[in-house]
Parts: sequence; structure tokens; C-alpha cells
Amino acid sequence: MEILFFVYLSSGLFLGWSLGANDAANIFGTAVGTRMIKFRTAAWIASVFVVLGAVCAGGGTTATIDALGSVNAVAGAFMVALSAALAVYWMVSSGILVSTSQAIVGAIIGWNIYSHKPTNTDVLSVIVGSWVFCPLLSAGIAMVLYWLVKLWLRHSKMHLLRRDSYIRGGLIFLTAFGAYALGANNIANVMGVFVESSPFAAFSTEWLSLSPEQILFLIGALSIGAGIFTYSNKTIKTVGKNLMSMTPVIALIAVFAQSLVLFLFASQGLKGLLEAYGLPSLPLVPVSSSQAMIGAILGIGLAKGGRGINWMVILKIAAGWIATPVIAASICFISLFFLENVFRQIVFQ
Amino acid sequence: MFNVKISLFSRAKTLENKIDVFHDKVIDAAMTFNKSMHVYLSEGRCEAFKKVNKQLKQIEHDADQLRREIESRLYSQNLIPDLRGNVLELVENLDKVINRFDEVSYQFYIERPEIPEIYHSRIIDLTGQVTECAENMSIASRSFFRDFTLVRDYSQKVYFLEHETDLTSGRLKEAIFDSDMPLANKLQLSTLVDEIEKIADLAEDCVDELLIFTIKRDI
Repeated sequence: MEILFFVYLSSGLFLGWSLGANDAANIFGTAVGTRMIKFRTAAWIASVFVVLGAVCAGGGTTATIDALGSVNAVAGAFMVALSAALAVYWMVSSGILVSTSQAIVGAIIGWNIYSHKPTNTDVLSVIVGSWVFCPLLSAGIAMVLYWLVKLWLRHSKMHLLRRDSYIRGGLIFLTAFGAYALGANNIANVMGVFVESSPFAAFSTEWLSLSPEQILFLIGALSIGAGIFTYSNKTIKTVGKNLMSMTPVIALIAVFAQSLVLFLFASQGLKGLLEAYGLPSLPLVPVSSSQAMIGAILGIGLAKGGRGINWMVILKIAAGWIATPVIAASICFISLFFLENVFRQIVFQ
Repeated sequence: MFNVKISLFSRAKTLENKIDVFHDKVIDAAMTFNKSMHVYLSEGRCEAFKKVNKQLKQIEHDADQLRREIESRLYSQNLIPDLRGNVLELVENLDKVINRFDEVSYQFYIERPEIPEIYHSRIIDLTGQVTECAENMSIASRSFFRDFTLVRDYSQKVYFLEHETDLTSGRLKEAIFDSDMPLANKLQLSTLVDEIEKIADLAEDCVDELLIFTIKRDI
């Protein structure tokens, strides 16, 4: 059973690889694109912190994915993850920035339709609502940050070289924070559908204790790391150069806004704290780091008066947002039919 | 990580100092040039003039050394990757002005022009304007590194002074050619006036580029 599980898990790992190739570029793409950090340094920091984020804080968003459609057969989970991965891979290789979150949600809906299971519309509306809110929130945060940073730079009269040192330090910190937030928020996309059929037992030593879910997240996070190292360089060229001419300060603001948004949508601790004080909190939903990044860049662009934004690239990306779930759902529906009727696998129970 | 951060800040600090010293050299060169012209006009090619010329050569030599150090540090330590091309260009432009001060003063030393006393005050005016122009260029350039809102103010002064030098040199050349001096002397003086005036032109070119760099630096 375990060997077969790993064969089925391969699609999740492929999706993790796609996520690393695509979404990690949002975190350090601008820093590498502006030559503030070397690719290899950024890739190492991001990989380590993606693993930490996924293992330590990946549970919250996984519960949301599970509530949307509880994929209860491992062969079905395999196909859901594979369909999402294929959709993402196809769009990444076409040079379009896509959302892994939308691909997995599309694929789960495809599974729900195929297995005649009802899609939890309340959860779906929360997820879709968060997709809309995520870039808007990111844009708002980025705008405020832009004005604050501009004000500070104007009044601090800091030397250009010292400013460069601070920015470089900030970008290294934010690569770590962004990767942590990405791991925490997006691991549900990669491994969420396998949680129900996971065969792992809890692992515990004197200094480390991992639940079965966390072991699954660790494996998924390692595949994200592989994606970061092997393919994210290509997507960096889209984020860092095509969208808008970015200075390192702009890169810093954009990455900070994006990482903060990802963290807000993933942090169980923050949600608990806000709720304890009776304050409104954000749902724990896997959101798109691409959307958050585009939102942040758009926010900065608007704060600057709307100049320098390549609207055609944004339109191209927006088209990808709509196409990704539709493509993933279609691939999933058709593939499940073949998996069940040609390969005689149980795809739902 | 802490060590990396500390070394990054100390490297930046060292280079900051070098850039500051380089700007000081521009002002030193301008003041020394002004002094050399005063000495030449009052005493001709005397010992004092030779000494001032030597001083100017030393400033030019030190500035060259600093420029090379700044350039190599910017690249070898991968500092301000987005702006280092601009900074290099700026430093080279400033260095051209320093070189020009040295060359013009040396030209006076070599050619030993005979300058009738009636032109002395105008040459002093011209030299003063050129000196002020270069000083303002240096302040504008220094502001680029700390407070770019000032770049525009000082650039405006450079433009104004450059225009003034054009007028002063024009009037001076007109007076030279209206005089009874032999044509060879007229041509020699006119060329030297042009050489002095070109320093202000160089400062203007430098400031033109500086303003473009400032727009790029603005977040």
C-alpha cells in the first residue's frame, strides 16, 4: 500500500514542483531580477523557509481545502493533484503566471462533479471571495507601504549605499518570511487532497515531533524546494522584468505586501488572537501568491500615479486566473473517467 | 547572518567615505584652479604658480586613484547593482572636470600667455564663475547620494552660472579681438578663454546626466 501511495503521491509532488517553479518566483523574483540577491542564495533561503512554513503552519488552509471537497480515494487524489499540476505546468511553460490555488480548487470541483458529490458552496464562496479580496488587500497594503517608505526616505536623508545595505538585508529577511508564508498558505494546494488517504504514522524523537499530516507536508515542501531550484529562474524573468520596471525599494515593498497577505490568510495564531479580542479575521484560505504580487505591484503603480504599468501583461495574467480553474476542472473530469473506466481504479468512495 | 550584515554595512560605510572624499577633491580642484589663475595674473609663471600647479596635479592624481577604487569596489562588492552604472558615469564625469582644471592650469604654465592688465578682472570673473559652477556641480552630485530633492536646486545654479560664463567669455573674446594685440596673441588668449569656459560646459553636461539619474533613483 505504501509504495502504491508514493506512486499516487507523485502527482502531488509534481504539483509541488510546479508551485516552487511558479510561485516562489513571486517571493524573490524581484530581488534576483534587480540583482540584489544571487539566485542560489535566494533559492536556499526560500527552500528552507518553505519547509518550515509548511510543516509548522500548513494545517489551517488544509482544513479549508478539505471542506471544499474531501477527496476520499487515493487514486482520485492523484488525479486531482495531477490535473492541477498539468494545468499549472502548461501555463507556466507558456510564460503565464498562474495560481496553484485556483488550479487545485478547479480540480477538486472537477472531482466533485465527477463523483456527484456536492460542492460546499459556502466554502467555495469564501475561497473565491478571498481570491478577489487578496489582490485588493495586497494593493492596499503596498500603497500604504509605498507612501510610508517614500516619506521615510525623504526625511531620513540616508546615503544611497547605506540604503542599499538596508534594502538588501530587508530582501533577505522578506525572502525568508515570504517563503514561510507561502509554505504555510499553499502547502494545502499540494498535499491537502492526500491528507485523508495518508498512510503515515506520527513520528517523534526527543527534540522533534511530527504528525502524519506534517510528514506529508514535509514531503510536499521538499518538492516545492526542488521546483524553486530547477525552474523558478525562468518565471523570475516574467515577474522581475516584464511586468514593471522595478527598483529594489519597490521590490521590497511588493514582496513585503505579498508575504504579509499570504501570512494573514494562513496564520492560525493571528486568526485566534483577532477572534479572542472580538476583531474581524481573515479566513484561512490558500490564496495565490501571484495574485498577491500583481495586487502589490498594481497598488504601487497606482500610488505612483499609474505610470510604468504594463497593463497587457496584467490582462494576460488575469486571463490565466480564469482559465486555470476551468482547465484544471476539465482535465480532472476527463482523466477521472479514464482512470476509473480504463485503468479500473477507485477514484471516489 | 549577523556577520554578513555587519560586513555589508562596513563595506558601504568605507565606500561612502571614499565618495565623499572624491567630492571634496572636486571642490579642492576648483579652489586651487581659482588660486592658480590669481597667482598667474598677479605674478606670472613664478615659483608660487609652479607650486599651485603641482598641488592641482596632486589633487588630480588622488582623484584618479579614488575613482578607480570606487569603481572597483562598486563592482567587486556588488553594491547598488541597479544604480552603479549611473554612479560610475557620474564619478567619471566629475573626474573629467578635475582633469580639465589641471589641464587648463598646466596650459597656462606651458604657454605662458601675456595677458594685458585690462583683461585681468574679466578673467578673474570668468574663473570665479567656473569655480562656483564646479562647486555647485559637486554639491548637486553629493546630494544625489543623500537628498535628491536638493539636486535640482544646485543643478539650477550650475545652469545659471554656465550661462554667465558664456556671456563673460563672449564679452572677453570680443574685447580681445577689438584690441591692437598681434593676431597670434589674440588667438592664444581666445583659445585659453575657451578652455576655461569649457570647464563650465563639462559641469553642465555632468548635471544634465545627474538629473536623469535622480529621476531613476526616485522610488
